[in-house]
Amino acid sequence: MGGGGFTMEPGNPALDHFLLTLLERREPRLLFLPTASGDPQEQVQRFHACYDGTAGTTTVLSLFRLHGQDLDLEELVLAQDLVYVGGGSMRNMLAIWREHGLDRILRTAYERGTVLAGLSAGAMCWFAGGVTKSGGAPAPVRGLGLLEGSLSVHSDGEPDRLPVYREAVRRGELPPGWAADDGVGLLFEDETLVRAVSSRPGAGAARIEADGTETELDVVELPRATDRRLRPVPHDIAEFRALRRARG
Amino acid sequence: MSSQRPPQIVAFGGGGFSMEAGNPLLDDYVLSLTGVERPRVCFLPTASGDADHYITRFYRAFSGRALATHVSLFREERGEPRPFQERLLEQDLIYVGGGSVSSLLGTWRAHGVDEVLAEAWELGIVLCGLSAGSLCWFADIVSKFNGPPRRVAGLGFLPYSNAVHYDSDPQRRTSYHRLMSEGMLDGYAAADGAALHFVGRDLERVVSSRPQARAYRVAWQRGRVVETELETHYLGAAEPSSTAVAA
Repeated sequence: MGGGGFTMEPGNPALDHFLLTLLERREPRLLFLPTASGDPQEQVQRFHACYDGTAGTTTVLSLFRLHGQDLDLEELVLAQDLVYVGGGSMRNMLAIWREHGLDRILRTAYERGTVLAGLSAGAMCWFAGGVTKSGGAPAPVRGLGLLEGSLSVHSDGEPDRLPVYREAVRRGELPPGWAADDGVGLLFEDETLVRAVSSRPGAGAARIEADGTETELDVVELPRATDRRLRPVPHDIAEFRALRRARG
Repeated sequence: MSSQRPPQIVAFGGGGFSMEAGNPLLDDYVLSLTGVERPRVCFLPTASGDADHYITRFYRAFSGRALATHVSLFREERGEPRPFQERLLEQDLIYVGGGSVSSLLGTWRAHGVDEVLAEAWELGIVLCGLSAGSLCWFADIVSKFNGPPRRVAGLGFLPYSNAVHYDSDPQRRTSYHRLMSEGMLDGYAAADGAALHFVGRDLERVVSSRPQARAYRVAWQRGRVVETELETHYLGAAEPSSTAVAA
């Protein structure tokens, strides 16, 4: 996502609900990784506000605040159906993930079919590289490289990124790739772009080549989902959860 | 003025403003080491992910008696155009907060904060911190974050191992001893309220903000772990002499 989703536009859950449609399990397991912003409470609350009422079960993995807990990161991450990564400092996030071995674990999760998603730093991280403002001015940065090509985000919201991105692609510092506006989601299956969707009218994305060629993508605007009808909690699951709660 | 001072690190097993509200003894101690009446103190809250509430508590504790600033590596700081390198090197004291030591080390290395801190240390800027902010200075540390406790390489300014919160969490002792039997460097353990004060690479003294807080030298000798309690200087008012004789 070039931007958008529950952390940026909590009143417009179209992209967040779109992610749920990609998950096959009836009771999908959803994990939020707010590492890039230092695990702020606000993002965590918005994650719960967005997904707690859906059929999904929600977990937040903090790499700052669980000190001393016995936690097997690999087991936790590999049990998920969706890993949703928040925005913030891409440089910090990747360095911290490496320190905890999470880069390797996420690669395994991807290979096993876990849906990986995120916005801003949480979107660019899956590509070979992107443009970060972790150091102030926009600069090219390497990602995990699960997807070939690069990504630049917030093309409309932070217009100083795009010129730096174009230049980095032209010089070969970053491989050719995509630039996305806030509210645009690019869906890749087996490392191939299959759809571009958006939560906002007029939001766009483009493919950018090293020779300067830019091709606008066809972006499909998602229905404006303002309630949870897209993914209600099935009756039996609701009953089971109530039972579980009652048992404490 | 900093150039006249030797390199110093004060490593708290736990304590200071973030753990001991109303007990400023350890914070007073590190401020006094600067030798400056109104020292420049910079807070590094990296290990907490630059948590807002933590930064606020730092300013509450220090802005009355020091020129307090902080460096955030996660959020842009408005009105602070100067790079953190410059800002860190003009301090009298750099205070590192608690949280995840692995996340702290990763972030610091990504930004080159580790190199700036090495320079600051050599310049005689006093370095201190609690918990993750203690562990980070040592070469060989126990990380408890992720699965079973494991060894993690710290910055290594102090060529020892380190364990924190030593008496409050009995598991820490068990894992420290086990790791030492597996080759961990000899080192120091400190309980909440105890602080290890190093001048250069040598332990100068152990101070405490609580009369009962203890610190230990922990070493591997002839196939076993030998733990030696260190003499600790309580920073508060002396206890009545009757209790001293009671033993």
